[in-house]
Amino acid sequence: MQDFEPTIIAFVCNWCTYTAADLAGTSRLTYPKNVRLIRVMCTGMVDPQYVIKAFLEGADGVLISGCHPGDCHYINGNYKARRRIKLLKEILPQFGFEPERLRLTWIGASDGIQFAEIMDELVDQVKALGPNQAKLKMVI
Amino acid sequence: MARKIGKALVVGAGIAGIRAALDLAESGYGVILIDKSPHIGGILSQLDYQFPTDHCGMCKMLPLVDRDASSQYCLRKGLFHENIDITLSTELVSIKGEPGQFQVMLKEHPNWVTSDLCTGCGECVDACPIEVPDEFNSGLGTRKAIYLPIPHAIPNPYVIDYTVCTRCGACEEMCPTGAIKIPEKARGDFRILVVDDELIVRDSLKEWLAEEGFAVDMAASGQEAIEQLSQQTYQLMLLDLKMPEMDGVEVLQKTIDEFPDLDVVMMTAYATVETAVEAMKIGALDYLVKPFDPETLIPMVKRLYQERAASEGRQIEVGAVVLCGGTAFFDPASGKNTFGYGIFPNVVTHLEFERLLSGTGPYHGQLVRLGDGQALQKIAWIQCVGSRDLQLEADYCSNICCMAAIKQALVAKQKARGNLDTTIFYMDMRTFGKSFERYRQQAEAKHGVRLKRARIHTVDRHAACGDLILRGVDLAGQSSEERFDMVVLTVGQRPIGGANDLSELAGIELNSLGFAQTEAFSLTRSSRSGIELGGSFTGLKDISDSVVQASAAALNASRILHAAGGSLALKSSSFIPSTDVLREVPRILVIVCTCGVRLPAAVDTQKVIEQLTADPLVDGVDFVEQTCTAAGWEHLEKRVAESKPNRILIGSCLPYVYKRKIKDLGQRIGLNPSLIDVVDLASEYQKHVLEKEPKEFITQNVTSKLEMGIARLKWIEPSAPPDIPVIQRALVIGGGVAGMTAALAIADHGFQVDLVEQNDRLGGNLNWLERTLDGHQPTELLQQTRTSVEKHPQIQVHTQTRVVRSTGEVGHFQTTITDAQNTEQTLDHAVTILATGGREAATSAYGYGTSPVIVTQKELEEKLSNQPLDATQLHSIAMIQCVDSREEPRNYCSRVCCANALKHALHLKEINPDIQIYILYRDMMTYGFDESYYTRARKANVIFIQYQFTEKPQVMANQESVRVTVIDSIINRPIQIEADLLVLATGIIPNLPTQLAETFGASVDEDGFFQEADSKWRPVDSLKEGVFACGLAHSPRNIAESITTAEAAAQRTLRILGHERLSAGKVVANVHHSLCSLCERCIDACPYRARSIDMDQDRVLVNPAMCQGCGSCAAICPNGASVLEGFLEQQMLEMIDAAIG
Repeated sequence: MQDFEPTIIAFVCNWCTYTAADLAGTSRLTYPKNVRLIRVMCTGMVDPQYVIKAFLEGADGVLISGCHPGDCHYINGNYKARRRIKLLKEILPQFGFEPERLRLTWIGASDGIQFAEIMDELVDQVKALGPNQAKLKMVI
Repeated sequence: MARKIGKALVVGAGIAGIRAALDLAESGYGVILIDKSPHIGGILSQLDYQFPTDHCGMCKMLPLVDRDASSQYCLRKGLFHENIDITLSTELVSIKGEPGQFQVMLKEHPNWVTSDLCTGCGECVDACPIEVPDEFNSGLGTRKAIYLPIPHAIPNPYVIDYTVCTRCGACEEMCPTGAIKIPEKARGDFRILVVDDELIVRDSLKEWLAEEGFAVDMAASGQEAIEQLSQQTYQLMLLDLKMPEMDGVEVLQKTIDEFPDLDVVMMTAYATVETAVEAMKIGALDYLVKPFDPETLIPMVKRLYQERAASEGRQIEVGAVVLCGGTAFFDPASGKNTFGYGIFPNVVTHLEFERLLSGTGPYHGQLVRLGDGQALQKIAWIQCVGSRDLQLEADYCSNICCMAAIKQALVAKQKARGNLDTTIFYMDMRTFGKSFERYRQQAEAKHGVRLKRARIHTVDRHAACGDLILRGVDLAGQSSEERFDMVVLTVGQRPIGGANDLSELAGIELNSLGFAQTEAFSLTRSSRSGIELGGSFTGLKDISDSVVQASAAALNASRILHAAGGSLALKSSSFIPSTDVLREVPRILVIVCTCGVRLPAAVDTQKVIEQLTADPLVDGVDFVEQTCTAAGWEHLEKRVAESKPNRILIGSCLPYVYKRKIKDLGQRIGLNPSLIDVVDLASEYQKHVLEKEPKEFITQNVTSKLEMGIARLKWIEPSAPPDIPVIQRALVIGGGVAGMTAALAIADHGFQVDLVEQNDRLGGNLNWLERTLDGHQPTELLQQTRTSVEKHPQIQVHTQTRVVRSTGEVGHFQTTITDAQNTEQTLDHAVTILATGGREAATSAYGYGTSPVIVTQKELEEKLSNQPLDATQLHSIAMIQCVDSREEPRNYCSRVCCANALKHALHLKEINPDIQIYILYRDMMTYGFDESYYTRARKANVIFIQYQFTEKPQVMANQESVRVTVIDSIINRPIQIEADLLVLATGIIPNLPTQLAETFGASVDEDGFFQEADSKWRPVDSLKEGVFACGLAHSPRNIAESITTAEAAAQRTLRILGHERLSAGKVVANVHHSLCSLCERCIDACPYRARSIDMDQDRVLVNPAMCQGCGSCAAICPNGASVLEGFLEQQMLEMIDAAIG
């Protein structure tokens, strides 16, 4: 079970975390392979349905990452995301997904290393949970 | 965006330069932004955390309207703006001409890496054999001769430091894209003539220089030298000063005119240095003192060689110049160095510590002891190292260090998760900025940062454990010592190296300390008209003050451009309107850059084509060798011409370099540029990825990324970005010096201004201010400004008038005002400036009101100017600072009171040197160059007594005299002062009623001052676009600073007033009214107040110029009625689909 290569969807904000991810790339840091970045303008625009859609399509983990509190380009979008993701984590089990598969973090523009580290952590966490089985179980 | 013909040059691309450039560019002027370093951002490129928020947020400086004219990504990464031409590694050579028409010569350092071709793969770095200290990490690490100046910058081409490069060519061979070209011109072409009568000198010089690859000839006498010069062209002559027959000076005189291209360096014995200096006046470049070794000679020759090798100058014509020359810092290794900097590894400067905190720093933000790598447990900061130091001739305060140290302590504590002791040793804690005093108090009370008023004299190192031992003297004069892991020296500012040259070539004056000198009541005007000053070149300042000053500099530059006719519009090039493809089925052409042969080797291209063309909307998939080259782009254009797609997807690295190309291509083929997109495949091109991963995996990755791009592109609904009309008039509320200055600045640009003042005359606080600390005359300023305002044809002054109500938004406000006769009038305007001012706070502390001898600072000033107070009759005066200030509820420093106390003290001492003056203070806030007046007052025998907040002075007064009892911290005993007069510094409170601010959609902070959109990056803007503030309504300021905020606010309005229509960005929110249930949640969610409800039509409206495209409204809408263009639900869902594949 531990050997599979999880697929991670990362919704990253245009201003901070996308920059950090870019920095991780230019600094030639290695982070897990199956990470797909979806750039959004702000974490505050990540609709919970996007996260659920990602899980339903078979993502093993989802990361939402934006600017540090107080740092949001759009003043308070990250706070909105924080409230929304907290609620979403409550609901996820009802869809058959472990809430640990979803993570919200703040990664600043110069924290390329932190980006790589968090990706590694998330992959480890998801590996421990095993592949996303919900797609097989769910009947929609 | 519409361009005007005016052009400005901004020198220095630090934060001030960027702000000034953006301000000018946003008002439509062309800007040339240069920096001598190979990156933008100045010192801030090295700082991740900035007080008082401990975060960045620099991106908030980017344009808010017409956003697509500039880059929309992290500003620390880089900047792009249609109207800004950024030229790095470039220096100013000369400025000739007059304001409005300057001829400027620039010199670019040689660049051997073609930035368009460099993909940033970094293979050259592995090949480079040279290692030098890395200035980005303040010398805490090393870098190669070919390096990335800033790891996170974009575009991020590698650059070669030509001063250390040996031209071995290893990088050139490794470069996969052929981006590196080391010039052929070898050192052999650089001929040097060594002239000396001593053979041993000639021989050794020849040997050393020849070893470095230079061509060297020798001459044994002056005569011989002249003969050789006439036969052969030389670039450099090393000339001995003392020779028989013809000495060096004579040779120089004979050759200097005939060979103007020849550089001459004198060689002299120590005794004749003065003659060598004389020779430099004739035309020698420099001199060397004998005996010298290769370590001094070779670098000098190399430098001269490189300067010659630097490419030719470029001449430009500009109307105005903004000079943001930056600052340097004190080197603590110079002088006595009792702190052991450079000797003990864990003694660092605060700039180095900044890099230790940074994620991109040498230890990736881990707080470790240098040397043994142990986690840091105890850090000390020593303040005022190289500042406020008369022995070092640094009689000034460096402004930012107190706050910077507190910030570093807080960030370090946060990084160490609380397991860290932090102590700041200081003289006065100067928290004079907005919100700074609360920041300090929180740091102490809530986060446990220890602030200790003490003077550390020595740092020693414990031989066994390596701990640092700080020895010093506390307030009571007791010696003490304490151990720390690390000592951070908060080093003060110094003028930049070459400040004298810069002042000479720009024709501007420096002050006696070597910083740029500004004119009276201005923080930006230099001594030469047309050249404005910005940033720390005029003295170190924090971000907020730098940004305000830079906007003010832009304003004054813009004034000159406007006066010279620079506001006329440029003829726009012929524009082909985009064809309407909305009703066409998407036909997507996919072009993938193969980055030479890299991709085909690692990817199954056939499979990519198969998978992508399975989508019927994909018209074709093509692989192009290098889209970044001219040939590659031509190929792409050819393919586009053949297949005539209505959407184009490019897969390549560095998406941002295509921005301009895409715009041009779109215009040429009549396709809306938003229908052309670039997918970033940079990580797929990286060698270490390509070599490590299986072909199948990379193929899948590339396909999936392209599919995501296709998903996004196919749902794009192209439409011209919406815009709104602008009523090109301004309203300024408040007729004090700030309001008048702002009104004049706007009116001078040809726009109508209504200036509303509630009193019967203009002038505000200038009506009673008699003098300033630096000896300027506020009365003259008032008279001049008032006359200019009253005579200005574009300014309508409304005295005894108040604002009743206002509706509307940026572009069109409707404000009703009423005058003394209660006649109402409605004004239409695009922007509003709140300049309602402030006043001296009233008090009941220290017995004020019980005795005529207890007065406030303002009352003292009035008494002195109206002469009811005769200073010659006074014997003793006491002054108490911080009355009701820096404590709740008025927990802020009013910034001007310490300077005012000094002003009065020095003035009184001048009239009557026998007066005893006692100033009772908590922290003397004589920031910047005002420090020298503090020194002057001490020398004039003004007695300064520091009192503790917990033990305030006690006052007993009768009608003639007053007795003040205060505990003197030095002797720690109460002392009594008998005084004829007690002067209270009660501070400033704002005149900005909450209701008035809210009428315009602005808000006030907890102290009643204007609440900025962001205290650092948008310091005079309200969060609601179109509303600005300046003067005392904004924050406590002195006159020059108030004027600067007013100029900054005026400049911010010109961005809006200068356009007939304001365009939104591509990414903008919209409402599908048929789906909207009018729940109004989106209105609350919008952080920019860009949404409103139209009661007549039952619709939610979006002001597209105010919307910044964050998408909060779309996420919160329960019906899917609110959408964000470019990030529609269908696009997002399909992208997720494609991502998982």
